[in-house]
Amino acid sequence: MTLDWLDAFLITGLFEVAMVIGLALLLHLQLGLARIANFGVVGFWAIGMYVFGVLYVKVDWPFGDPWQFLVCAGAGTLVAGLAGLLVGWLIADLDTDGVLVGTLGFAAAVQILATTEDELTGGAFGLGGLGFPFDIGKVKENEFLWLVITTAFVAAILVYAWRVHRSPYGRLLIAMGGNEPLARSLGKSTFRTKLWLFGVTSAAMGLLGAMDGVMVRFLDVGHIGVDVTLAAIVGLVLGGTARVWGAVVGVILTVGLFDIVVRSYLPLPQEWYTQTIPVLREAVFGAVLIVVLLFRPLGILGDMRRDRLMRQIHGR
Amino acid sequence: MVAEVAAVGAPTRPRIRVEGAVKSFSGRVVVDVDDLVLGDRPIQGLIGPNGAGKTTLMRMIMHSTTLDRGRVSLLPVGGGEVVLSSMAAHRMAHHGVVKSNQVVMDFDKLTIWDSVLLAVAEARYERPHRVFAERSVFSRHEDEIRHHLDYFGFADPTAFAMSAGEKKLLDIVRCLLLQPTFLLLDEPTAGLPDELTEKVMTVVRDLASAGTSVVIVEHDLNVIWSLCDEVLFMAEGSVVLRGDPRSIRENRTVVEKYLGEGHV
Repeated sequence: MTLDWLDAFLITGLFEVAMVIGLALLLHLQLGLARIANFGVVGFWAIGMYVFGVLYVKVDWPFGDPWQFLVCAGAGTLVAGLAGLLVGWLIADLDTDGVLVGTLGFAAAVQILATTEDELTGGAFGLGGLGFPFDIGKVKENEFLWLVITTAFVAAILVYAWRVHRSPYGRLLIAMGGNEPLARSLGKSTFRTKLWLFGVTSAAMGLLGAMDGVMVRFLDVGHIGVDVTLAAIVGLVLGGTARVWGAVVGVILTVGLFDIVVRSYLPLPQEWYTQTIPVLREAVFGAVLIVVLLFRPLGILGDMRRDRLMRQIHGR
Repeated sequence: MVAEVAAVGAPTRPRIRVEGAVKSFSGRVVVDVDDLVLGDRPIQGLIGPNGAGKTTLMRMIMHSTTLDRGRVSLLPVGGGEVVLSSMAAHRMAHHGVVKSNQVVMDFDKLTIWDSVLLAVAEARYERPHRVFAERSVFSRHEDEIRHHLDYFGFADPTAFAMSAGEKKLLDIVRCLLLQPTFLLLDEPTAGLPDELTEKVMTVVRDLASAGTSVVIVEHDLNVIWSLCDEVLFMAEGSVVLRGDPRSIRENRTVVEKYLGEGHV
């Protein structure tokens, strides 16, 4: 397979877009349906990434890839899911402000642990030695295949979120987000539902983190900053938190436009790439968030249309 | 004075016992009930002036308002006792104790279909991996849901409940779908036209005759007098009188404190 026509920057940019769409879709289930504002997305993502990375590099496994990847990524997914259960348990009865501070604090704690536990994680120096669980030739070809695999996983998340809207579980999430005491009075255990929600979505965020670790092949704490959460939130809010496709549309218009078009194809001065562009990216994303919340708080796609959905699946 | 609870023979319907229950807001005692058993008669009405503590008492029973002290327990037909006041709020419905709300409450983003399907959906279908379970829930419960929606005249269940009356009715339908054994209704007919009020009363009568205990708080006293087998009069946080509707209606205390001379 020859990929000479394909720009390496484009692969990286598309991977970034796919990754953030995946996170935004999972955030959509939490924020868009259950109205739980998780500002610690990057924490779960980072746990998956670092558990995978540390196990992959530091443990002398008796087998090689792809089993080594599968076991390590599975462990990262599991630990991220357990962290989700713990955080879900802690924030279950908090109000919106409490959830925001709690999840943000969790993400900060994960980043601090990744920095200070340097014997395991490499700390500020980073952790190298990661690789693809296959080798089909050149780096670009491996990266392209990994992009395809990651995109397939993100597509699976999209289908899952789409199905959740059409399921009793999704209905319960919406009810819980709209009027939790009323949902409880109907016999619904909102506490257990929040634990399920956080456990499952956090595990998937962890797996995405592990997959990102494979792509970057070198983990450093600068990679798990709040900008990951911000990108997912801004994309989701721009597209529409309540709509499944909101995550896709919003992330393409923000991360896609910036990380692919602006970064790779605009003739910007070379010295901008190290300092200016990352800062500019956060500033633009922040401005987008403010403008959308001011002028179109429901995002481009607007609110969910349960009436139309109910007519589709149950008729009149 | 609270009339003694008649305990003749084995109870044929579930009862709720409220013991030493006190609730204060900002130092003011709103409810102070020494010992009260509800459910001795099929349909009991709870009346009293505004601020008497009727709604607070209902909310205390449902655990949606915490008790300062005291205890609320369910006495099921088969015997035994289930302490409700230490139970998680969502488990009340599992024991058949269900309440409609005085203030209109609804899920803004859910349609009428959604709302009633939510009420009937079993917990096993509401897990993250059951994303193909909608059809099962719908087919299992479609007939009973349509029965209630048709009866109350919901024209298009795929739409959102718009008016306060429609939301009130939807609240009642949700309660009915939970198949309550002990139903608390807090002003169920407030804001409803006469025709729908009559329909609600018919449903309540049917439910009571099938074995459900019903307690109803209502300011429309015509509903109370025509529907209830027993009326409890509350004032200043306590049940001060209970008896058949006629005796309560003619009682001097009730007339002076609540009804007014013109009502008798």
